[in-house]
Amino acid sequence: MIEFMFALAIGILFGIGVFQLLRRDLIKAAIGFAILFSAINLFFVAAGAFEGESPPYLSNVQAGRPTSDPLVQALILTAIVVSFGSFSLVLGIVNIISKRYDTVDSNDVTQLKH
Amino acid sequence: MHLALVTAAPFCLALLLALPQTRSHLGKTTQTLLSTALMAALFAWLVGAFPLLQAEQVIVQRLEWMPALGISLSFYLDGVSLLFGLIITGIGALIFFFAGFYFDDAAEYNRFMVWLAGFAGAMLALVLSGNLLMLFIAWELTSVTSFLLIGFQGKKQEAAREGAFKALFVTSGGALALIIGLVMLGAAAGQVITPEANSGFVAELDVILKLDNLHEHAWFPLFATLILLGCFTKSAQFPFHFWLPGAMSAPTPASAYLHSATMVKAGIYLVARLSPVMTQHELWANGLLGVGLLTMLVGAIFAIKQSDLKGLLAYATVSKLGAIMALLGLPGQAGLKAALVGIIAHALYKSALFMVAGTIDHAAHTRHIGRLGGLRKELPGLFWVTVISALSMAGLPFLMGFVAKETLLDALLHYSAPWTALVMLVALVSAALTALAAYMLIGEVFLGQRPRGLRIHKPPTPIYYGPALLAFCSLVMGFLLDPLIIPLLRLAVTKSFSLPLFAGFNEVFWMSAGVLVAGALLYLVRKPLTARITFPLSGDAVYREIINYIDWAGNALLHFQSGYVRYYLVWILGSVSLMLVASGTLSTVTAGQTLLPQDLSMTATDLAKIFMLLLTIVAAALTVVLREHVKAAIAYGVIGYAIGVIFLINHAPDVALVQMLVETMATVLIIIMLGQIRPGARLKVIDSLWSGRHDYNFGFLRDLGISIVIGLAVFVFSLIALQNRPDRHSIAKWHLENTVLVNSEDAVGAIVADFRGTDTLLEIAVFTTAALGVLTLLARGRVGGGGRPAPSKAPVESTPEFDAEAVEAIQDATSLSTPFTRLVTHFVLPVAILIGIAQILYGGSGPGDGFTAGVTIGLAVSLWYVVLGYDEARRQLPWFRPEQFVRLGLVIGIVNALLPLLLGKGFMGHVQFDKALGIYDLVGSFGLHITSSLFFEIAIAITVMGGLGIIIEAIAYPQSRAAADEGLSAVNI
Repeated sequence: MIEFMFALAIGILFGIGVFQLLRRDLIKAAIGFAILFSAINLFFVAAGAFEGESPPYLSNVQAGRPTSDPLVQALILTAIVVSFGSFSLVLGIVNIISKRYDTVDSNDVTQLKH
Repeated sequence: MHLALVTAAPFCLALLLALPQTRSHLGKTTQTLLSTALMAALFAWLVGAFPLLQAEQVIVQRLEWMPALGISLSFYLDGVSLLFGLIITGIGALIFFFAGFYFDDAAEYNRFMVWLAGFAGAMLALVLSGNLLMLFIAWELTSVTSFLLIGFQGKKQEAAREGAFKALFVTSGGALALIIGLVMLGAAAGQVITPEANSGFVAELDVILKLDNLHEHAWFPLFATLILLGCFTKSAQFPFHFWLPGAMSAPTPASAYLHSATMVKAGIYLVARLSPVMTQHELWANGLLGVGLLTMLVGAIFAIKQSDLKGLLAYATVSKLGAIMALLGLPGQAGLKAALVGIIAHALYKSALFMVAGTIDHAAHTRHIGRLGGLRKELPGLFWVTVISALSMAGLPFLMGFVAKETLLDALLHYSAPWTALVMLVALVSAALTALAAYMLIGEVFLGQRPRGLRIHKPPTPIYYGPALLAFCSLVMGFLLDPLIIPLLRLAVTKSFSLPLFAGFNEVFWMSAGVLVAGALLYLVRKPLTARITFPLSGDAVYREIINYIDWAGNALLHFQSGYVRYYLVWILGSVSLMLVASGTLSTVTAGQTLLPQDLSMTATDLAKIFMLLLTIVAAALTVVLREHVKAAIAYGVIGYAIGVIFLINHAPDVALVQMLVETMATVLIIIMLGQIRPGARLKVIDSLWSGRHDYNFGFLRDLGISIVIGLAVFVFSLIALQNRPDRHSIAKWHLENTVLVNSEDAVGAIVADFRGTDTLLEIAVFTTAALGVLTLLARGRVGGGGRPAPSKAPVESTPEFDAEAVEAIQDATSLSTPFTRLVTHFVLPVAILIGIAQILYGGSGPGDGFTAGVTIGLAVSLWYVVLGYDEARRQLPWFRPEQFVRLGLVIGIVNALLPLLLGKGFMGHVQFDKALGIYDLVGSFGLHITSSLFFEIAIAITVMGGLGIIIEAIAYPQSRAAADEGLSAVNI
């Protein structure tokens, strides 16, 4: 059941992110980009090999408590920071486009190809 | 000394020369002497290896590389590699010296030498490698450096770009064939060694060279052809020869080195290297012989038609390369001796002639043969160098070239086949034409009348040293066959042989003499002769045709590039769906189970998760429906937090912490950026999107349709993936059990900083790259110049009136800067730094680690930029220098990763410094562990903090005063 809900949420978030990307508003598109990242991170956390009842700490393992999957967490941890980096790059690009063309409408940007 | 060090030395030289400090502190002369000395030292070392090699025949050294695949970094030194190594280092030293005087401009010289030294390293690696894969990598490296050197003047000359591309196109096209051939060869070798059990890929040369029945393998014809293709393209054999004359746009030192002495002989090297186990097959032998002879003839004919001095030399080189190839194709390696003598002789005279051409170019500013003449009086030294080298090329007794020609004719004469007469005819005609070309070099350029308007300026004397030394070698080497050449050849040629300087007045001698006379006679009729020679088809034309077709295909594909994101998405989605359907994953997964949930029961935590998921979806929907950008940004922040809470419920406290911090940061960034963009521009797009006009409605429906399809696809994909997760036996289990080994309490921290540390190291590098990308996009004026960065428009230190004004403008515009917020801002940063330090030190025993520490401090700094504005924040935080932080963090990370290597552990191995220093119990009582992970966490924190700092600075950097003025007042849209 919870897998179903996660998949549904991931699908919807992804769809909304794509929709934002397709629209002409570049700022909304940047936000859509970030929503895509969120959907992917959500997928990772849901895809852990096992769900535990406690954080993946040594003391919990030694006490025999089932812990959550540490591997996916480590993956997301770095993924968050890297996706933030690329998100800020997107923001930078939007910013520079808005300066050069004095618009945030992607249809008005016609001369990126030289 | 290990052969790896010999190979690495030129690369280190290239790195050293590439350092900005070298460029600014070492003069051109120092750089020249340094480079020359290094090559000379390597030459001396190789000479020193001679006695050892005489005792052992072959030296093989191995370093572990990919033990799981049975591939090691191995080095192989025998007679053939020694000969090539001596040429690379010996000629290299002279060329490096020559280059120091060829270039007038020091910066140009430095840039050139970086690539040239890199090439020398690649070439040495090629001839010293004992492993097929390493050989191939070096092979490609030589192609790449050659490309860069040919295109060296590419900014100024169209021809240089074209020539560079042509050379790369041909040689790397051939390399594609070569890699397939080498892999097949390795696989075939594996099957030959253990016919019943496939022992896989054998890459080690010393193993392969011991196989004597490789040619009986069923794949032999295929891989032999592929390898030959690679060698023929590299060594400019017909019909791939045309790239070599095109490569003459390279600066002359590069032509002399790469395109005459070394790189074009790489194909010959590989053929000579593999011939012992390949030449038993007719395909190999006859292929070499046929292509070699044809190249020899074609090259010689083309050479005499050239009007460019270097073009003539290039085609003469092609001809000689063909001759050597043909010799290697003689059965039973009968031609190996002649081939090696030819290589030595050619390296000596052709490099000298190229340097002569370069000197003439330098002195007369032209290389056109028709515009040159009578240089003998102006450049007497150069004249004598040319006379000796060119006559060696022609084969005048008793120069080194004479020995080469004698052995060549002798070897071909002893070749018995039905077509021996034809072979001899081709060889003699080519030799006569080569002699003619050599006479033309002397006669047309140095003798006769000096054309009017030809100005000569005297080149610096040291420019002569290299060519003169080589000419001297050509002159005396023939008399030093016994002490020098023969011992060297004995290492490479297994059969017994003799190599006299003069074998008496036998038929070979008369042929040789006849060739010289024929060349002289042809010289008299050279003008009508060269005018008569025409070719219906040139390799160049075929090449251009091919390129045209590629261009045409590229243009055809360009029609798919609409420029609209939606079409790309449709293409990507379509292909992915096609792949999923074609692979059958979808049907196998769905066959046994239904995708809909069967078990509807759920726990309280599940309910909490579902609630947060719903919150995420609602917030995401809000980012669409809320018109104003700032509200959408805040709605986006809600998504981030909701996901953070989900992480928390899923027992992932570290991730939750980072998620919340980063999402805060992202939201702050969007809002800072909104302030930078003119509100009018933003209002315009909002109005047009929400006006409800018909054409926009169509766009809306279309976008909606595409996103629903994609969302559905992702939903199905995630559902399948989530229902088929790996079970508890995944590697995560191993991580949990072994966390104790790295003195960590937190398994996530252990994975990030230890088990998968290399990943993390690369990831912070990626993050830094992204940050630098933002910086170059947004704050160009601020970058560069070194030292303390300052905004270009309002330098912090100068013009206080303007500064104050600007700060005031921003402060007026933003209501954020109240005394209270300023107080909070000042207060937050030290607290954040303390929290960050605590997170690093105790990261092992609870949530928080280097990432969170970096982001926490970065957030506190961003508060300064938001509240105080760019200039004030820069002024009040002089110690916050993000570029330096990034540099420092990455250096710490790399040093920390390399340090364990010195202690005999692997890259990024775990080191317990506290135990090593005997303070384990002392620091342990504070709950600390001083390990390599701790230093890595510090590195992560500093890099992330620096990267964030760069991003904030760049985004907050006022692009223009007006925009900043208008912008900050209108963030509420």
